[in-house]
Amino acid sequence: MKLFLTILICKLLHFFGKLIGKGSSLPGKIALKLCPDILKRVKLPEYIIAVTGSNGKTSTVEMIAHILTENGKSVAWNKEGSNQIEGVTTLVLANSTLTGKVKSDILLIESDERFARYTFKYITPTHYVITNLYRDQLTRNGHPEWVADAIKVSIKNNTRLILNADDPLVSLFGDGKDDVIWFGADKLESDTNYCEGKYDDGVYCPKCKKFMRYSSRHYAHIGHYKCTSCGYERHDTEYTVTSVDLDRGFAVINGKYNISLALKSLYNIYNILAAFTVASIVGIDENKIAENMSNYVMKNGRVVNFAIGNRKGTLLTAKHENSISYDQSIRLACSDKGGCDVMFIVDAVSRKYFTSDVSWLWDINFDMLNCENVHKIILAGKYCNDLAVRFSYTGINADKIKIFEDIRKAYDFLNCDRDEYIYTITCFSDKNKFLNLL
Amino acid sequence: MKFLHLYYDIMNLYGEYANICAMERILTKSGIECQTDRLSIGDNAKLSEYDFIYVGSGTEKNQKVVLEDFRKYAVTLKAYIDRGGVILMTGNSFEMLGDKITDANGTEFEGIGITDFSVKEQNKKRTTSDAIFKADFTDRKLVGFINKCSEIYGIDTTLFDVLMGLGNKTDDDREGLRINNLFGTHLTGPILIKNPYFLEYIANLVVGGKAKINTKYLGFEKSGYEVTLSELIRRKSAT
Ligand SMILES: [Zn+2]
Repeated sequence: MKLFLTILICKLLHFFGKLIGKGSSLPGKIALKLCPDILKRVKLPEYIIAVTGSNGKTSTVEMIAHILTENGKSVAWNKEGSNQIEGVTTLVLANSTLTGKVKSDILLIESDERFARYTFKYITPTHYVITNLYRDQLTRNGHPEWVADAIKVSIKNNTRLILNADDPLVSLFGDGKDDVIWFGADKLESDTNYCEGKYDDGVYCPKCKKFMRYSSRHYAHIGHYKCTSCGYERHDTEYTVTSVDLDRGFAVINGKYNISLALKSLYNIYNILAAFTVASIVGIDENKIAENMSNYVMKNGRVVNFAIGNRKGTLLTAKHENSISYDQSIRLACSDKGGCDVMFIVDAVSRKYFTSDVSWLWDINFDMLNCENVHKIILAGKYCNDLAVRFSYTGINADKIKIFEDIRKAYDFLNCDRDEYIYTITCFSDKNKFLNLL
Repeated sequence: MKFLHLYYDIMNLYGEYANICAMERILTKSGIECQTDRLSIGDNAKLSEYDFIYVGSGTEKNQKVVLEDFRKYAVTLKAYIDRGGVILMTGNSFEMLGDKITDANGTEFEGIGITDFSVKEQNKKRTTSDAIFKADFTDRKLVGFINKCSEIYGIDTTLFDVLMGLGNKTDDDREGLRINNLFGTHLTGPILIKNPYFLEYIANLVVGGKAKINTKYLGFEKSGYEVTLSELIRRKSAT
């Protein structure tokens, strides 16, 4: 009876919440108050797939859901983005019968990396994808090792891990386990033999803290590594990006599946690979998966094409306090051979909590913008002074840089007869301040 | 002048390399040539050769690895501090200067014993806060961010008064460590970029009156500092 009532109340709250556009965590929160072990009492489907990591989890989950749905599977997933236990509880109960049975074939959970241990106290995922561990929201998270420790306690013995072999800190979760499913990229043409970023989190072995050596770097600390002391090294992969051509916009998985890229970044390719891996494990025909992923345009609003007068542009959502997401967006802009103007907006550091910390600007490799393809650089928002200081340390000619505290004035500056394509790079917290001007 | 960025590749969270960049720039703009050595674990720095030393913050594990290497500098660092050498240590790096650090598992790590204090870590929660600090050597308040998982007991010669943020231990209104020209603080990140007046103060200490420090170029730095300070004051009065 308690189960029935709790589910009923959660469903009703979720239904009315949707009508008035309220968040999806409140119904779950109330359900957990009424019945703290509700998640244990519900009958879950055969596949429970969890996805966590610093970057790309929302996109990866969206892609998995897309592939599975296209191939006739019913999927319950947290598309509303609430990824802590309350949101996951809403997800589960909203998709279950009143007698407590989840109706979908697959339960797909994006999980906040720091709070996964609470979510997975009652739900044991059958498969657990960990995408990467980067410097992300360090004002709250401290550092990647701290987050790794928080994820570690959420992993249960009877869950199969699906890990990014190219990330040494992520791979450590699979150290000593023999049933891990590994994904990663072979040595790629775009690889370097050094770390391109402003810092290198791959210098020291995460296991023994002696020096690591990379035979190839995809980007940052992601690549083919081996410890010089304890022998800890990148694992061979079962699901592999075997080649990439970013100019022409395609990637090849396992040597035979050609995927055209809607978004030409390595970053996006890792999300596709993770989604490919999961869909294949669930039993979807790999040819179909490749078809579903080809030219797939994300629906989560992180990439938005726009026009200002006669000028065209793209808004790329990076994450403030996350240098790798900025580096990837910057790399994309810099590769535009047609020439471009690039705008950065830092107006609120976070939408979820207060901070005025801008240390993370110094971890971003803005120096890459010192290239022929980039013509003007526009810095906007409340923290434009901090951006200006950061750029004064890049070697980019000051004539190229325009600074506006007022985002509207930056917009007015862009609204002119220049030919260059525009890239606006900013965070969720600030993107609407720009998009609303269009 | 010679600068040393010690443990540059492992105690480098939060963009802290920029503290050295800020020092290089202010001296260069003041007409003084300077050069920085970037050294790390396994290197042997001759501390007495330097005019400024900087160490940044690291993960709890990396701090313990560094501590084993740092131990070899106990005597030369003491001599450097005694002669008034300027050294800035941010985040958990200055925790290594005390008697001991006890980690979350209860394991004790002996500090290098420059002065008497002890550190206790936990692994449940990071204590974080934006910060406004007051120092006795400047009228300009300092701004920054604190991110730690430790409590520090027994420091008498603190560096700052806490107006907003976190002290050395819970409910402590004093923060950091000051001995002669050693500045230790849990403010993390490029604090010399964010605090142009503190940068000016440190630069003056380093040159010791041998040259006039040029601060004219610090326009954006000062505007950024004012914005952050007013944001923090607004936040403080709202809570
Ligand atoms: Zn090792």
